[in-house]
Amino acid sequence: MEKIIEILEELKPGVDFAKEEHLIDDHILESMMMVQLVAALNDEFDIEITPRDIVPENFQSAKAINEMVERLLEDE
Amino acid sequence: MQYNTFTFLGLFLGLTLLAYYVTPLKARWGVLLGASAVFYVLGGRQLILIVALTTAVIYLAARRMEKISATAKAQRKLLPKEERKAYKAKMSGKKRRVLAAACIFAVGLLLFLKYFNFFGSSLNTLWEKLHLSWEIPYLHLLLPLGISFYTLSAVSYLADVYWEKYPAERNYFKLLLFLIFFPVIVEGPISRYDQLGSQLFEGHKFDYYKFTSGLQLIVWGLFKKMVIADRIDGFVGVIFGSYGDYGGLAVALAILLYTIQLYTEFSGCMDIVTGCAQLFGISLAKNFEQPFFSRNVNEFWRRWHITLGAFLRDYVFYPISLSKFFQKLSKGARKHFNEYFAMTIPAAVALFAVWFCNGIWHGAEWKYICYGLYYYVIMLAGMLLEPLFKKICAAIRLNREENRGFHAFQVVRTCILVGIGMLIFRAENLRAAGKMFLSLFDKEAWRSVGFFWDVGMNPYEYLVILIGVLIVLYVGIQNERKILVRDRIASRAAAIRMTAYTVGVVAVILLGAYGPGYGAVDFIYAQF
Repeated sequence: MEKIIEILEELKPGVDFAKEEHLIDDHILESMMMVQLVAALNDEFDIEITPRDIVPENFQSAKAINEMVERLLEDE
Repeated sequence: MQYNTFTFLGLFLGLTLLAYYVTPLKARWGVLLGASAVFYVLGGRQLILIVALTTAVIYLAARRMEKISATAKAQRKLLPKEERKAYKAKMSGKKRRVLAAACIFAVGLLLFLKYFNFFGSSLNTLWEKLHLSWEIPYLHLLLPLGISFYTLSAVSYLADVYWEKYPAERNYFKLLLFLIFFPVIVEGPISRYDQLGSQLFEGHKFDYYKFTSGLQLIVWGLFKKMVIADRIDGFVGVIFGSYGDYGGLAVALAILLYTIQLYTEFSGCMDIVTGCAQLFGISLAKNFEQPFFSRNVNEFWRRWHITLGAFLRDYVFYPISLSKFFQKLSKGARKHFNEYFAMTIPAAVALFAVWFCNGIWHGAEWKYICYGLYYYVIMLAGMLLEPLFKKICAAIRLNREENRGFHAFQVVRTCILVGIGMLIFRAENLRAAGKMFLSLFDKEAWRSVGFFWDVGMNPYEYLVILIGVLIVLYVGIQNERKILVRDRIASRAAAIRMTAYTVGVVAVILLGAYGPGYGAVDFIYAQF
């Protein structure tokens, strides 16, 4: 979780990612940033996030992202 | 059958509503299917057979993909761990081939029917320049009603079933209804199966609130279309048609008015069809969200034709930018280039595909391709220059998020950029767009105001347009503040409420652009 927040803060400084729960609905994470985020997550956790995982529910908060990463690690 | 005609609103819609609410709940989707088929045949005649065939291919492909997934899941568990990965890859490949075949069929049909003659004539010009005697013949092709819209809905359904976001539809006729539902077939919104499907298939009980708000929305849409957009059509037609005779202020005003025309017409049509669907208790996806309050063109496209932007984002942008190839490329580039630049490569390539598709989706003409690529260049420049902007803002201590003056500047800048896009979109061709753009810098032409009375409009019409636009602007500002004018009116005393509704209906009847001197103006987006 901490690593995910670190990645997010690097991509977009100035947002309290530990608290934000509407990253997609509030357009904090836009499509350009999503591509960069996915690349960083794939690298960091050695997973493969595909377009099927790109649904708002998986990216609304750092917690949701963490859950998705854990799910993908289990599937590996 | 146009959505703003009495034949549609009075007869077709009235009869369909009557049939819908007298039919038992479970069978109500059948009424919608019957009405949609009749609507399609009235507008598209025998071409309904092409839609029926496309639906059959989509239906079978989705079922097949689902079956492959189910077999793969069941068999995988029985295999030793070391073989599972290879088996998964084999089955994924099988499923991907089914997806590709169905997409090639649906999109191929669209490409062939809509673009064959465009590519043919472009290639013929090329052959001629190369002194080759080849010639691609011109074909007289009929375009099925709404093909640009239902093909995208079909592709999104296929991709979602491929990604196992939801199960494939079991009933062919339900899938057919999803693709040809009469309020969305002509101009969208481009629907997603998981958002619209279940709403279509479950029968809805009569809901007074939804029904009345649907009626209000229809009147509001008619107001935008008939009082503002259709009245502007004359002015825009004259200036863009004889652009050589005008310049400066006339052209600037024509661009502004065309932008207003396209917005009020397209969003008005969306209000009408959303209102129609609401009469049946069905909610459609939002297609507009006050786009002219956007701070940059990215935001503009999140608020303008939202369902097209969302389709291109989910089914073109992400699949390309997140593909293994581009992820590897980006990873490799990070070793040689600046990290920001390397991470931008997949997005930059995917964005090109998005804006090329956006442009050509609008029509088989070079100007539409340039229209799309115009936005691509703006967005790419913004993306690549972002680190520089950040540094400049830090140096001059400008908080881009909170500075109100800068916010206003961004909104005006976005409107100007969108206006230039509209010029490319509406001009006869690229040469005309270029000439009109250059004429904006003709100082002499800015002094001439005689065109006001040359274009066949009288002061009364200018006044109606001005008042209409101010009302739309007021409602837009309220919406931005999350205040729904409709709900505000509905919460007032009955007398005030009825007066407001009567004024709305009377305004459409009295101020709408019809009668002698006006032809019915076709919906612009219906041609796409």
